Amino acid sequence: MDREQVIKALKDSGKWGHKYSFWVVYFCTGCGIIEIPPVITSRWDAERFGIIPVATPRQANLFLITGYVSLKTLRPIIRTYEQMPEPKYTVGFGSCPINGGMYWDSYNTIKHLDKYIPIDGWIAGCMPRPEAIFIAITHLWTMIDKGMANAYKKYRKQYKYYRRNQEMALGELQWPPLYPIDEDE
Amino acid sequence: MREVELYFGPQHLGMVGNFSITLKVEGDRILEATANPGYLHRGFEKLMEYRTWIQNFPLVCRINVVEPDHMEMVYAMAVEKLAGIEIPERAQWIRSIDLELARVGSHLFGLWAYANMLGFDTIGQWAMYHRDLILDLFEELTGGRVYHIYICPGGVRRDFPDGFADKIVKTLHSIGKHVPDYDDTFFNNPLFYERAHGIGKITQEKAKEWGAVGQVVRATGIPYDIRKVEPYAAYNKVDFDIPTREEGDAYSRIWVIRDELIESVHLIFKLLDNLPEGEVYNRVPNPFKWRVPKGEAYVRVESSRGELGLYMVSNGEDKPYRVHFRTPSYSHGLTILEKVLKGANIADVGNAMISLYVVAPEIDR
Amino acid sequence: MKMNKKLAEELELTFKDIEVSTPEDTKIEIFAHKEQVLTILRFLKNKGYNHLALISCVDWIEKAEFELVYILTPYLQDYEAYKKIGDIHLKMRIPRENPETGTVISIFPNAEPYEREIHELFGIKFAGHPRLTHLLLERDYEIPPFRKDFDTREYVEDVFGSIPPIKEEKE
Repeated sequence: MDREQVIKALKDSGKWGHKYSFWVVYFCTGCGIIEIPPVITSRWDAERFGIIPVATPRQANLFLITGYVSLKTLRPIIRTYEQMPEPKYTVGFGSCPINGGMYWDSYNTIKHLDKYIPIDGWIAGCMPRPEAIFIAITHLWTMIDKGMANAYKKYRKQYKYYRRNQEMALGELQWPPLYPIDEDE
Repeated sequence: MREVELYFGPQHLGMVGNFSITLKVEGDRILEATANPGYLHRGFEKLMEYRTWIQNFPLVCRINVVEPDHMEMVYAMAVEKLAGIEIPERAQWIRSIDLELARVGSHLFGLWAYANMLGFDTIGQWAMYHRDLILDLFEELTGGRVYHIYICPGGVRRDFPDGFADKIVKTLHSIGKHVPDYDDTFFNNPLFYERAHGIGKITQEKAKEWGAVGQVVRATGIPYDIRKVEPYAAYNKVDFDIPTREEGDAYSRIWVIRDELIESVHLIFKLLDNLPEGEVYNRVPNPFKWRVPKGEAYVRVESSRGELGLYMVSNGEDKPYRVHFRTPSYSHGLTILEKVLKGANIADVGNAMISLYVVAPEIDR
Repeated sequence: MKMNKKLAEELELTFKDIEVSTPEDTKIEIFAHKEQVLTILRFLKNKGYNHLALISCVDWIEKAEFELVYILTPYLQDYEAYKKIGDIHLKMRIPRENPETGTVISIFPNAEPYEREIHELFGIKFAGHPRLTHLLLERDYEIPPFRKDFDTREYVEDVFGSIPPIKEEKE
């Protein structure tokens, strides 16, 4: 680290802690999971960026949604996202969460994932290379520096609309709302 | 003691792939296990009815992410059988080499999953690194690391680049010289024997009754392999063995996987030695306006998990009428897993599941 | 080859009212009725066809029929033995209105998930099946999704297109 980075780190050590230790929830969501083991093992070593997979969402602050999301998977994804402590960041991996990708006319997959949970950034490709994940992580660092990675704050402020979209897609949800909903706004 | 219902659910450190098992346990012992697939269902067979024959190729290889080449092969074989397309000789041999490289890559991936689950992290790191060397070979040949779209009806898309055969030999040698290390660290380790011996034991009669294919049936002593029963591509022109074991438990299945890995490497060397010259692609005119004649076909190949089959019905139009994949993980993950987990311990669920070589996207399609 | 034709003749003699044809050297096609399926399968299993590879269903909407196909293969070990026996495709048709038939789990225990999937995706009832619950789908659909009159693109427009995006907040 050079002098400017040391000054930046000392000025805002909270952000320094968030950026350089992204702990990823281990959840194999879709077919993008095939490029995650190469990323976390010795060839494209992700631990030099501070990324390790952890067992439970309570210990994690990065959620990587790898690949398409089917209706049945959306429930565990929402529950996992709501259990992560703040500040938390989500990245959509692959072309399928962006707009449905190759399965745009399937009756069982979700087309736009950011109608249901907030997303900080997308990685396009089918499959993206492991280097693309690392470039995305450096973009996320820049966003955290500038204060632009605010997806979790958006979820808190607009929870009413997210919850309504989730109920429209899935029917009745078996868990209570995470934040209190004002009905008269 | 009372009964508790546990969810070995999709977000779990021992689960590879998006699959879930509901367990009814009493203390530490499982009374009943119910497999819960469907997290990856895309409705492939319905989507394929809306796309033309050539547009289905990028779609077909995404059914099984770990080894997509066998899916392309079985689709190309079915279309060729229905339409009566002939393939040049060199294309058959190149297809076999491609499929065997995919088999080596898939077995290394399975080794990562199994060794990581047991706790042998070193083997996981080595296996993933060696698999990445094979993905580099695929990238040079086809342009993509994971999804190749290389095998088309009429042959393969392009020929080997210059010096590619030497590169294959060099890469496989550099993987092969680590086999004694793998043996000393994992396969001959008494800890592996203690952990895997007797888990998920299946007898010969039960394996046949429950519809087992692939390593599950070869580990009980029956050498059933589609490459010998109904040869396709260039498999009837070279000589190779089918490794088997006797006991039928997780230990035998992993040893069968190791033996098959080494046998595949030797088979690639034999195929490269006798590769004939010639064309690799019989151009089929107007692919966007193909009409395949009326009929039906059931073709099968031996993927790295077992017998992979495709039942295809055509109505004479430019789109398929009905396509149905018979994947090997279907009977392993839904029938055999539930029967094998009855009376087992909770700590053995991951062991049984990964040694049966179940891949979740194959079940759901 | 000769065993192929011999088996075809034996089937025609044993069972009435079925059609047997041998379109290729290693394939026998049998067209049977709904009630005969169980006895024919038991007969074939004793002859050595002990692997039920696939139960598939085709929706012939113009003729208003569903066609169920049972594909049986033998657990043999080499090509010479297989060439003499081959595969069997057993087909039967049932009408599209209120489709139902019996289960074959008593002969082939691995038929259970195939029948469950066909029930959920095509709407065919299998009498005697121990659990006809959801396998792959998450919800019930008005028309079972793999039937030809279910238009998946229209369904996607209706259900997913009607969910509005979250607007950016204006400060």
